[in-house]
Amino acid sequence: MTIPERLGLPHAGYGVGLRNVHFAHILNHNPAVDWFEIISENYMDSHGPPRYVLDQIAERYPVVMHGVSLSIGSSDPLDMDYLRKLRSLADSVGSLWVSDHVCWTGIAGLNAHDLLPVPFTEATLRHVIERIRIVQDVLERPLVLENPSTYVTFARSTMTEAEFLTRMATEADCGLLLDVNNVYVSSVNHDLDPQEFIRNLPHERVVQFHLAGHTSYGTHCIDTHDSEVIDPVWDLYRLAHELTGGASTLLEWDAKIPPFPVVHQEVLKAVDRINHRLTPAETMDETPPRPENGFARPDEGTATVPQPATMISAEVE
Amino acid sequence: MPELSAAGESVEPQENPRELAIIQQWFQTVIMHPDGVTAGVDSAEARQQIDISPDELEQVVTRSAARSSLQRMEVYANAYYARLLECMGNEFPALQHAVGEEAFGGFAFGFLQQYPSSSYTLAELGSRFPRYLKESRPPGEGGSPWWMDFVIDLATYERACSEVFDAPGPEGEPWLTADNLAAVPPEQWSSARLRLVQPLRLMTFDYPVHDYVTAVRQGREPAAPVQAVTRLAVSRRDYIVRRNVVTEIQFELLRALQQGLRLGEALEAAVTAVPDPQVDLAAELGNWFRDWAAAGLIRGISTDSDPEPPTEPAAAPKQD
Repeated sequence: MTIPERLGLPHAGYGVGLRNVHFAHILNHNPAVDWFEIISENYMDSHGPPRYVLDQIAERYPVVMHGVSLSIGSSDPLDMDYLRKLRSLADSVGSLWVSDHVCWTGIAGLNAHDLLPVPFTEATLRHVIERIRIVQDVLERPLVLENPSTYVTFARSTMTEAEFLTRMATEADCGLLLDVNNVYVSSVNHDLDPQEFIRNLPHERVVQFHLAGHTSYGTHCIDTHDSEVIDPVWDLYRLAHELTGGASTLLEWDAKIPPFPVVHQEVLKAVDRINHRLTPAETMDETPPRPENGFARPDEGTATVPQPATMISAEVE
Repeated sequence: MPELSAAGESVEPQENPRELAIIQQWFQTVIMHPDGVTAGVDSAEARQQIDISPDELEQVVTRSAARSSLQRMEVYANAYYARLLECMGNEFPALQHAVGEEAFGGFAFGFLQQYPSSSYTLAELGSRFPRYLKESRPPGEGGSPWWMDFVIDLATYERACSEVFDAPGPEGEPWLTADNLAAVPPEQWSSARLRLVQPLRLMTFDYPVHDYVTAVRQGREPAAPVQAVTRLAVSRRDYIVRRNVVTEIQFELLRALQQGLRLGEALEAAVTAVPDPQVDLAAELGNWFRDWAAAGLIRGISTDSDPEPPTEPAAAPKQD
């Protein structure tokens, strides 16, 4: 059977993650952005300004919903109330697709509000596949799942992350959101080859790319979404583009957020990067960038919050 | 490979149907432990799931070339508290300003242990914070410093602002005008029902927390809080949370109207609650209604002669 590229889902172009600090700019200036990605949980229960703004943006731009609390890998039962709300919002804003992460966020009814790693075992794979099918039945649209940045691996894992994602996507018939920055971060953290990771994915199922900046501590990286995309990640993006034939591309910037035009310009670099060919001197550098290269190395004692840290604060007179 | 000891099951690792749940319960226990990863791994709750000592952590979590298993786990443990403390600070900026970052961190740290998040949305994270602060106030008369009352007031008000901010609101509804009010025949005022804005929170505080919060949010240094009973009507207009200071008699009147009483009944209830309102009600009532209509607090008025039945009052209006 031939799988249509991107599961038949459109190539939406080059988009930006919608953040509340940019609401006014977007509504007032109608920037020429191809599409916006929203954090689903910030809008699912909103009856106030966030939802009001989203409705206006959804009238002007294609929107994709990206969640952080589906917890597809958790041993807890799926939250059907959550799924119904997700479906309702997707119908309401015409979400091109719905995405979340290959992770779990909590167990025993708690939520750590983090994208926690799963062990890559047969048991986990069966569990996740079964739950993806349920979610897709409720949503009545393909679920697209992202590789998260991870900071540990489990001794009990019996397969690579790429193998897990490949079998998961194929057997559950879902899409993949390939976060190229996460591939880089996890590869540094786990001493892996990021190119091999990307080469071993089912490329026809890659519906979307994520790009973002991160923080390097030299010995490891944290996915902070607080800076520009670094060159090695752009190189991985170009490789992924070549292997997949291209897919919707989205830039995430969640901390130290600059003005909207800066964020927009960052994702538009993707067009140039796709066309930029590697020269022999530009072979993939997989060592963490050094501070003298202009890359931040924060104090280890400073708490660095990996994404996601997503909430919208009230406006009070 | 460590033995997965829950339920005493002794089966091949890949065939244990509870393996994922055991690892996840262990992982969550470890990263949420208030004393860090080492204490978390060594805790009875964690060892009930996977019985390893901190020295044996590599049996569950592998090390990398540059980082030990413990260091790798600490990324998640540090992030858990750092992320949620950051969110708490975003929701309670005035409280954080009042007590300082360190004390606020202490409050929030204790709160997260007592009431860890059980919602898919961070919007719910702070919902029980005022309750936690009340519960953790030192017991007994005189055992609680005055500022703890201020802290609780601030937390209660800032949380109410968050809830009003994202509640179903009045934007898009027509406004009640002075002409609408004037059109009601005098003989029908007593039986009229006023429809108040939704959301509307009627709240009483021991301190003028609204001034403090506004100053902090505007980047000004707030004046030191001075105890003064403060009654607020907290609502939303044009997607911004608004607060109106009201007197005791106004507060009781609005509360009675919010409960759906007719105006005559509401006035009677208010005067019963405040026998000496120290104001000429007959002279002031019209001014109050015009002011409240202009502020968007009154959104409609209906009389028995209206063709449409009066709007049902909101179920169980929230009182603070």
